[in-house]
Amino acid sequence: MSAFTATGAGFRYDAGDAAALVDVTLSLNAGTVTWFTGAPGAGTSTLLLLAAGLAPLHTGGTATGVVSLLGENPQSAEGRERLAGRVAYVSADPASQLSGIAETVRREVAFAPANLGRQREQILASAARAMERMEIAHLAERAPASLSGGEQQRVAVASMLALEPGAWLLDEPGSALDARGRETLAAVLRDEANRGALVMVASEDADWLVGWSDRLIVMKAGQLVQDGTPAALLADPSLAETGAGSTAIATFARALAERDQRLASASYPVTVQDALERWA
Amino acid sequence: MSAVLEFDRVNFAYPGSDVSALTELSLSISEGESLALLGPNGAGKTTALRLAMALLHPVSGEVRVMGKATVGRMPEDVAGNAGFLFQRPEHQLFASSVREDVAFGPRQLGQDNIDEVVERALDQLELGDVASVHPYDLPAPRRRLVALAGVLALRPRLLLLDEPTAGLDRHSRLLVRRALAAHRAEAGAVVAVSHDGEFVLEALDRAVTLEHGRVVGDGGSAEALGRLGAPPAPAWARLVAQMGAAPAQWRFEPAVEFVAMRCRAAPDA
Repeated sequence: MSAFTATGAGFRYDAGDAAALVDVTLSLNAGTVTWFTGAPGAGTSTLLLLAAGLAPLHTGGTATGVVSLLGENPQSAEGRERLAGRVAYVSADPASQLSGIAETVRREVAFAPANLGRQREQILASAARAMERMEIAHLAERAPASLSGGEQQRVAVASMLALEPGAWLLDEPGSALDARGRETLAAVLRDEANRGALVMVASEDADWLVGWSDRLIVMKAGQLVQDGTPAALLADPSLAETGAGSTAIATFARALAERDQRLASASYPVTVQDALERWA
Repeated sequence: MSAVLEFDRVNFAYPGSDVSALTELSLSISEGESLALLGPNGAGKTTALRLAMALLHPVSGEVRVMGKATVGRMPEDVAGNAGFLFQRPEHQLFASSVREDVAFGPRQLGQDNIDEVVERALDQLELGDVASVHPYDLPAPRRRLVALAGVLALRPRLLLLDEPTAGLDRHSRLLVRRALAAHRAEAGAVVAVSHDGEFVLEALDRAVTLEHGRVVGDGGSAEALGRLGAPPAPAWARLVAQMGAAPAQWRFEPAVEFVAMRCRAAPDA
């Protein structure tokens, strides 16, 4: 059964001239990691907000069509109520996600499950496990506001992890993380998918996502324009026409082809290893 | 070369925290210099930037901007010399249009030629077509460019940038790089915190690495990335390094040239 479906979904912000989403029809399975990319303004962030029920609720604007997340309608108040605690939305801006009232990281991570009325023992255990997995156990007694941007981003993910959600909706979740933090987050989300969760992540960072996402969907001007395996789409020279970025190596190969026609190819190397096999 | 920014044996801890955020930090940044602050999350990079902007003050030691100590001064007292790009652009956007937002800083400082300066900043970051749009109606990456345009319009000698390229696409990153190059050409200095190895390699010459609030490395950015791998050197730099290219060829254009030459020389290329 699909964990997320969109049928003819559209969205328009109050201020924008153009529609942010146009006739999006899509079905995603639980247990998979789907990566969304595109040029800035392509609609990936809006799609996640719509799926989370945050658009138009918090953003204003008008939604059309039908979306379903974990079998519920996130656009309806009843649907959102039934989804409470089952959906983890993580934005690029971790500070905006912190409760602002928890005195320590431990309390912050325990905040959402406590708010949902879960049992104390269970809350403490899941918070401890979440901090362990995001490698912030050493920050447990620190004040969230005193942490760096990257540390706050780990806390934001850990606080969602403690909910044991059925769906993850993440918008540039690695923006403030260092290399180690990105690896940790990738491993956590992969585990979450293996546990059976739906994972949807919007990111420009092809070098990060290529190794661990199952499916890549490329958007342009609010529409889905390419859909396939990350390795195949990133290697395809036609990706550039969508305005989406590829990996650093594929971009490099494109520059090489532009410099010298003889070096053009129907498929670009995507990783350093691919490139070494081809050029070294 | 006169120093634009100096840290002189600076120690800092956040109030109520028993963890030292910076320990005995000494650094000097001159006119025309560009410096990356590298290091893992929580190393003290952003704290150093905040001290330079007088958003924080040292527990001991001294921070000097254009030779003047920040002690007893507020960020607005430093704003004529230093401009700060926050990690969250939302911290510094509040006007009802992009143009108004960019003009706000120079107006507060009572600068002249405001229209000209604002147009130039909008132009540099290709924001002319959205000048009358509300900043919050723009996608997050372009909001970051608006915030940077506002900082550039202040024409500060020192740019303090916290993750300036986070979430930006390739073209926007190129615009940022060009704007920083223009700033340096006018004797400006840049200090940037970044995990973006490509940006560090292409836009910043010197790299200082912090760990647990202490300086553990200070040298050329290419060497720092090559040695540390953190932030990860861009993939093409790793590729050409493995193919035997020198650090000078670890930047994009020289790297393309290096590989093109190798491929042309190969008999079956």
